[in-house]
Amino acid sequence: MQNFDFTKLEAKAAEILGRYEEKRAATLPLLWLVQETFGHIPPEGEAWVGQKVDKSIAHVREVVSFYTLYHTQPIGKQHIQVCVSTPCMLRGAKKVIAQLEEKLGIGVGQTTRDGKITLSTVECLCACESAPMAQVNDDYTGILDAAAIDSLVKQATQSPEKPVQLPEPTAYIATDGPVISQRFKNVNGTWFDAYVADGGYQGAKKALGMQPQQIIDEVIKSNLRGLGGAGFPTGKKWSFIPKDNPKPKYLVVNADEGEPGTFKDRYILERDPHALIEGMIIAAFAIGSHKAYIYIRGEYVRSIERTNKAVAEAYAKGWLGKNIQGSGFDLDIVVHRGAGAYICGEETALLSSLEGSKGFPKLKPPFPAISGLFKSPTIVNNVETLASVSHILRNGAEWYAKIGTAKQGGTRLFSVSGHVVRPGVYEAPVSVTLRDLIYKYGQGIPGGKKLKAVVPGGISAKILRADEIDVAMDFDSLMAVGTMAGSGGVIVMDETTCMVDALKAASHFFADESCGQCSPCREGSGWLFKMVSRVSRGQGKTDDIPNMLTTAAAMEGKTICVFADAAAWPVQSYINKFRSEFDHHIATGKCDIAQTTAKVSV
Amino acid sequence: MPKITIDGKTIEVAAGTTVIQAAEQVGVFIPRYCYHPGLSVAGNCRICLVDVEKAPKLQIACNTPVAEGMVVNTTSKKVTDGQQSVLEFLLANHPLDCPVCDQSGECDLQNFYMQYGRYDPRFEEQKNKKPKAVPIGPTVMLDAERCVLCSRCVRFTDEITKTGEFGIFNRGEKAEIGLYPGKTLDNDYSGNVVDICPVGALTDRDFRFKARVWYLSTAPSVCNGCSQGCNIDVHYVLDRPHLADGARVMRLKPRYNADVNQWWICDEGRYGFKSADQDRIEKISLKGAVAAWDIALTQIATAVTKLKAANQLSAMAVIPSAQLTIEDLYAVKKLTDQLPGVVCTAQVPPLPGKSDDLLMKADKNPNSAGVALLELDKTPASSIIEAAVSGQIKILWVIGQDLVKLFGEEKVKQLAQKVELFIYQGPNTNKTSSYAHVVLPASHYLEKDGTFINVQNRVQRIGKILPALGDSKADWQIVAALAAKLGLTAGWKSLPELFVAAAAEVKPLNGLTYEKIGQQGFTV
Repeated sequence: MQNFDFTKLEAKAAEILGRYEEKRAATLPLLWLVQETFGHIPPEGEAWVGQKVDKSIAHVREVVSFYTLYHTQPIGKQHIQVCVSTPCMLRGAKKVIAQLEEKLGIGVGQTTRDGKITLSTVECLCACESAPMAQVNDDYTGILDAAAIDSLVKQATQSPEKPVQLPEPTAYIATDGPVISQRFKNVNGTWFDAYVADGGYQGAKKALGMQPQQIIDEVIKSNLRGLGGAGFPTGKKWSFIPKDNPKPKYLVVNADEGEPGTFKDRYILERDPHALIEGMIIAAFAIGSHKAYIYIRGEYVRSIERTNKAVAEAYAKGWLGKNIQGSGFDLDIVVHRGAGAYICGEETALLSSLEGSKGFPKLKPPFPAISGLFKSPTIVNNVETLASVSHILRNGAEWYAKIGTAKQGGTRLFSVSGHVVRPGVYEAPVSVTLRDLIYKYGQGIPGGKKLKAVVPGGISAKILRADEIDVAMDFDSLMAVGTMAGSGGVIVMDETTCMVDALKAASHFFADESCGQCSPCREGSGWLFKMVSRVSRGQGKTDDIPNMLTTAAAMEGKTICVFADAAAWPVQSYINKFRSEFDHHIATGKCDIAQTTAKVSV
Repeated sequence: MPKITIDGKTIEVAAGTTVIQAAEQVGVFIPRYCYHPGLSVAGNCRICLVDVEKAPKLQIACNTPVAEGMVVNTTSKKVTDGQQSVLEFLLANHPLDCPVCDQSGECDLQNFYMQYGRYDPRFEEQKNKKPKAVPIGPTVMLDAERCVLCSRCVRFTDEITKTGEFGIFNRGEKAEIGLYPGKTLDNDYSGNVVDICPVGALTDRDFRFKARVWYLSTAPSVCNGCSQGCNIDVHYVLDRPHLADGARVMRLKPRYNADVNQWWICDEGRYGFKSADQDRIEKISLKGAVAAWDIALTQIATAVTKLKAANQLSAMAVIPSAQLTIEDLYAVKKLTDQLPGVVCTAQVPPLPGKSDDLLMKADKNPNSAGVALLELDKTPASSIIEAAVSGQIKILWVIGQDLVKLFGEEKVKQLAQKVELFIYQGPNTNKTSSYAHVVLPASHYLEKDGTFINVQNRVQRIGKILPALGDSKADWQIVAALAAKLGLTAGWKSLPELFVAAAAEVKPLNGLTYEKIGQQGFTV
């Protein structure tokens, strides 16, 4: 029996509790503390956390069981988690799993007999540029070719007590500007001095000398739209914060990047974190907030470390804390680590999670701008959105607006993954075409294969056929062709891709990530996955296609958040655009691609 | 106050009212699983979708506040399609084990399917498996497969009892209702989660498989378990003696009363109904031998008359109980008033009882306020006991009190030897009845009509639900019969007359009638 001594955690616990306005918000960080100390969260740990945050142990267990990164049982010293989301599947994740299973002698979900190595599969880790990839304990590793797998297994089996040394993936490809990605070339991060030398914090300096309303007007004028995926005008969102509400206002950064096929915010957090902090200072000042949180997905360990480092630098240099740069404006930032749940990227789910609960989206009304975090007026903005704000303030709204279209200013970071020669994150004006992203930035399809389909805005976006790629990537143009710009995650599929299997991977993701709150989504996402899996196994029935479409339609517009709609869209678009492939599967029980080309099994 | 039109009916409602509440006010029922008026809004079941004019999507009625001029349609094609698909989702992984489910017949999955569902099932996949028939505490059985995850039970234990036992663990379709491993649901209000569970996930271990709910009859009453007087519905069966060993009362359910108990009752009250069918005194007993009413009452009357003739009525004492109704107590009081010298008191030492700030009161009598109002609490009963033990009492008439519990067995044993005539009158046997010389069967409170006054001074009517068992009679009837034997005038012939007489005499009750009390009570 392991002996759990919590007395040594008391000081740290008190420090954690001190960061939050309400005790319950410390739930996730305290659970992290327990897990980091003991390797897992034992019942004694749940009881200890419950007592610290005034929650019954049942409610602590709710939280522990909701997030994938918490373990109630000990796991291997080396935890290899292979990503099985669409972009990794397209690039051979299945083969990676088969090889690891063979070499380790265990199946997925199992731990080696000596208890040293655990193998799991996970949904999108948002590092699709190094697909197929995996997370080993805290570190990301990819591209997992045969040599990389060999090296990984060798290290893990020969000295399982030591952290596996993984080479920095070489596939991190980033463009150099024109706006947000200027400093992405700094692989080890852009730190305070370099950031300032590069003109950093000038936007914030300017903003602190302006009236809050002037800042909001400037951002409205820039046509900056929410780059997390919803595309809502940022300045307009800020203007919803009530001026006469005596409650504290909160700025919350949505750094819960999780949309399969999206890996852009990680670059800002790891390579240019001060750009985010500067944007936060501007936004907080504009909405009258003195406390901001950065909610970073739990898997992004390095992002969390680097963001924390940047925050500490900003405090040390007088850009955070009391009386910032003598302006009289105070701002505190707390970096908050998520624990593995895609839904927490939905802004109200993120707030629920930040408040220490399961990531359940909240009923609207009230909207966060009126009653958000701790029932106070709250603005939730995406990392890239806020990073853009510092540039807007520095160079002016007109400059930014001019880069984009009439209704969406500036540039965007596009994450290009799947079947392209050069997967990576590319910054381009929002009017860039999908064709250019695939063929110019991504350098086309490998092996001279033909393009079959492309998802333009993260896995939730409706799929486009190869003949639909001459479309600009701004929010309005993509909406006009019946899909969406979403998170800017472009997932490319070549002619060898089985669309039934591709839909199965997408549906698996949604079934796995549904929070389970609303009945249509909870039941529908699982049902859709079961149906498409059956078709994929060759056990399709003639009424499966109408049934899948009916079920998908029944989920739309009936739930608290749009996750259910997002789960329905791939089903509808894959079937409608590639109907004959589904028909063939059902009629013959086989995939026709397997017969004609070397099928990539996804 | 905003004016809102629901299905063509226009109504003005208070600002802040939600559409589901406003609909109820105009008599439009909107189906619901997660919504419960006594709990916070969860908005997760999605069955209460309604069509709000100008809103692009269907809205949930439970979380949509009314707005001036709002036009709501609850029967449009969009709404009925929505309700149908929500039901199909809720039933997709549901085990459909209705034939062996205790909720069958009062299940909102069944009810709403018949009313709003009626689709041809399309779900052909393997259903998800979850734990079944798990006893999660002394009172409740859990079937996680039947759960629709509405979270009512979670909110009840969070918001009402604040005990936090329930949780919904995991996520997506793996989400599952339950308790923390090793914990039990053992709070004083646990049975309420069965009432609010809209499906067969939480069933009552006590009631489980006793009777199909369609065999149950229902009648309103008031709990006699403590001075709170929670309003209840009694569910009973009279024509199926093969069920539950012939028990008539199958279960109690809380009956809504905004001012008394809202939607809830405590477990002590909920499971306190067994006394209606167990350990009953059904026959008159004279020194251990079964007798007829006439003989017993004649014998008592003769003894009383003898005392009266000897001018020794002060050697007679009556100890009625705060378990009796106003009517019973008034009848006793009127009788003893006509027998000058007889001491009549219901003032007994309080027994320790559990209490809290929700519903439970330490005073486990339903009518202590009635006792006080009739001024039957002036003399301590302990003085009578002492007098009886020392041989100063010749006739002791105990109505519904367990003297052994109050004063100890030794005292009762002694006084039974000293007193010439020791009468016990009550519905159930107890230690005291075993020492009595004459035992008179009184009707159980569910077998008689009458009123209690609760701790808030609210007069509440209990109503006769069951036929009197055996030879038992209502206490007031026994008293009236004895009065007749003694040649005393009662002044009333029926219970309503008795109440009117009492109301006329007791000032705070002046002018009160059964009609005025109604089903929700009347505060005096």
